[in-house]
Amino acid sequence: MKDWTEWAKENTDPKKAKEKPQALDDIKVLDLSYGSYAGLFASSLLSEMGAEVVRVEPPEGDIAREMTPEAMKIKGTGLAYLIEGRNKYHVTADIRKARGLEIIEELIPKFDVLIETFPPKYLEKLGLGREKIEALNPWIIHCAINNFGQEGPMVEGDEVPETLDYDVIAQAFGGFAWTVGLPEDYTEFPEHTRVPTRMGNWMGWYCGGAMAAFSIMTALLYRDLTGEGQFIDISPAEALMALNNYAFHLYHLTGQVINRVANFEPAAYAYNYVQAKDGLVFLAGYADPNWQALCSIIGRDDLVEKYPTLKERTNPKNFVPMTTEIEKFTKQKTREEILKIWLEYKGPGVTVAGEILKPDETMEIDHWYERGSLVKFKDRDYGDLTLQGLPAKMSESPPNLKWACRPVGADNKFIYNKYLGFDSEVLKKLEKEKVI
Amino acid sequence: MFDEKFRKVMSKNEALEGFRVLDITRIIYGPWAANLLAVMGAEVIHVEMPKMGDLLIRGVSPGGVFPRNLSPGMMCCNSNKYYIAVDMHKPEGIEIIKNLAAKSDVIMENFKPGTFDRWGIGYRQLKEINPGIVYVSMQGFGNWGPYAERPSYDAYAQGITGLAEISGFPDGLPVKSQAWIGDYLSGTIAAFLTLTALHHREKTGQGQFIDLSQAEVLMRVMDWTWLFQEKTGRRRERSGNWDMAVVPSLIAKTSDGFVAIAAFPENEYLALCDAMGNEELKKYREPEERIKNAREIYPIIDRWASERTTDEIVEVSKKLGFAAAPVMNSKTIHENPHFNARKTVWKFEDPLYGDLAYPNPWHLQGTPGRIRWTMRPVGFDNEHVMIRILGLNESEVEELYEKEVLGKWDENFPATSPPKDWDGKKGIIY
Repeated sequence: MKDWTEWAKENTDPKKAKEKPQALDDIKVLDLSYGSYAGLFASSLLSEMGAEVVRVEPPEGDIAREMTPEAMKIKGTGLAYLIEGRNKYHVTADIRKARGLEIIEELIPKFDVLIETFPPKYLEKLGLGREKIEALNPWIIHCAINNFGQEGPMVEGDEVPETLDYDVIAQAFGGFAWTVGLPEDYTEFPEHTRVPTRMGNWMGWYCGGAMAAFSIMTALLYRDLTGEGQFIDISPAEALMALNNYAFHLYHLTGQVINRVANFEPAAYAYNYVQAKDGLVFLAGYADPNWQALCSIIGRDDLVEKYPTLKERTNPKNFVPMTTEIEKFTKQKTREEILKIWLEYKGPGVTVAGEILKPDETMEIDHWYERGSLVKFKDRDYGDLTLQGLPAKMSESPPNLKWACRPVGADNKFIYNKYLGFDSEVLKKLEKEKVI
Repeated sequence: MFDEKFRKVMSKNEALEGFRVLDITRIIYGPWAANLLAVMGAEVIHVEMPKMGDLLIRGVSPGGVFPRNLSPGMMCCNSNKYYIAVDMHKPEGIEIIKNLAAKSDVIMENFKPGTFDRWGIGYRQLKEINPGIVYVSMQGFGNWGPYAERPSYDAYAQGITGLAEISGFPDGLPVKSQAWIGDYLSGTIAAFLTLTALHHREKTGQGQFIDLSQAEVLMRVMDWTWLFQEKTGRRRERSGNWDMAVVPSLIAKTSDGFVAIAAFPENEYLALCDAMGNEELKKYREPEERIKNAREIYPIIDRWASERTTDEIVEVSKKLGFAAAPVMNSKTIHENPHFNARKTVWKFEDPLYGDLAYPNPWHLQGTPGRIRWTMRPVGFDNEHVMIRILGLNESEVEELYEKEVLGKWDENFPATSPPKDWDGKKGIIY
């Protein structure tokens, strides 16, 4: 039999994805999301798996195209949107106008999934409430994404203002930021840095989008078996709540609130970052035999005696003293040297070391390009782009990257003709009325 | 606790009822992927080693304390599963796995690449027994490629991808998320992919092999990092609590806590300026202007927020029309009326461990997710699985115990046993 890695590569190499069928090639998705990368990531995941995704933007374009560092744009579109426009057809319709809303109503019966990120009850106020959508298409999976959700005391009455649905609100309101960052007593750092901290990427939006895509797929699978559509209410803030370890479960059990602990882990040690000669290194060895392995590598069996069980090691008072001792070893060596020493360890127990990289160092690793998680892509509209490819490798129905993005309204002609039979006459009129 | 909304959720159908998942995963990444399928109604069989169980997660708890013999590390990603303990180093153990795989729709594992193939239970062997099986392999760096042999943990994935380096303050430290997000988010994506594969199977009858690297998932969600670095030739730097691509969007310190504030479209931004009584800042109407002048705008908002309470800011945001929310923690979430009414705060009675609370964000109107029970002691459901699912008789099961192929908990290992006051019956389903 062939070597395993050889078999795995041969059968899941993304370079061969184009020759294979796609899991969701029978699914059509209408993505009305606006100013939300949660909605965009959900539809990206579906589009990568072969769904036909039609993105509906207002005639001036999704404000998400404006969300970009240093206001950098390529042909009018921001960098972040160029990552999440993938494989999607881009049309415009102004749903604030009666004719625009009518177009959406005409499209709904032809789609399997509807994604939107409007403020709660916004569509209802426009005249396109949940019941109307269900009447138009009882088989549709309608996924509404909003941090505050679609029901509950906060969204009854006029409590929630009609704003975009932001990443930073998810990170704060879901309790995620509370557990990230430097603790108050790290007085060697400036005061303004010792606060609950947002993750640098849009973690709230991305986790919300992933949870939405997962929920949509369960609903699609249920529909395969029963023929029933349904409504889904996903909050990115709540998604982060569910992805925040044991913080919530433990509070109910013991009344203990988990606070921020810098780069330590309240429930295990060693499981943290330490200083090396040329940067940071991650070290793990937290179960007793693995802690012993770590200490033997650095020649410090005295630390095993001093901190023999989880009880001593997860006492926050010991985090810094233990780390100081370990750093006496690690600070003498480069990250590369430390990695080598750990990989060569063949004694009892399992301990892991790994380098912490700056994102420009990360970008130099061949592994990502070889596996297609980073790709140098030539887009027909936006030219040469280095962007995220496809983390998932699948042997039979793999994901695929067909194009990176499309300009605002670029597919009006094709999509409106295909779904609604509009000819150029009709399109011209709609353009004149500023509906599309 | 068990109000009308709770009963309503419990009375609904479960989307994945009828799907069986063989979950031979450890720590968080794999267990969370299978957990997601379990909260949606799949029958998930979680396999561990006899006695110690999954040592690397059962033993994880702040302060080394295990209330009611529950493990905080394990309970958060192992609900609604059936627990068996099988020694896979023994041929009879491998036989049990093969027999279960023959009757399962999905198998999940996160051992070192090639381990299961070597043991005769890899995808190549299992598809011969069960061509429809969806085999999900979850590792740090995937099953092939230059780094495939490297072991990984969540915090390593956050480190090597640069995620930690872009988080935190420029004049502080890079920080990882305390949440094991490389595990949790990758597990969520793995569950999503599994369902796409099952949908593909509905059409073709064919199963498949899925290889998902947690480091690659984190690379994927780092938004504009890579494109920015390619186009500018510069490194993405961290910017603390200021989002430099959505301005303003920040977390600020208030006089009594912390608040998130965001106002990107012109009308929201002008509302924020009104709330601050700042006419001068209105000159940056266009989002683009604000992104370019972020370093001037953010300190002004920070100063304004520091002189007000969190409630004041949230109130004025609602009145004038921009976004604001308090920075919550597990206590304020637990007490929050909104999350309680929505049943996102999901309180339930576990037959073995008593009253518990979990986050439950799966609000699918037709088939809502739900937590039925928490983790179980090592090998707790051996009899149920061996007899009801595999069709063994009681003496065959007895023999497997004698050969130490099957096993149960051992009090020498933390959080492997039932609670101290267990009556020997509660929670047993066989």
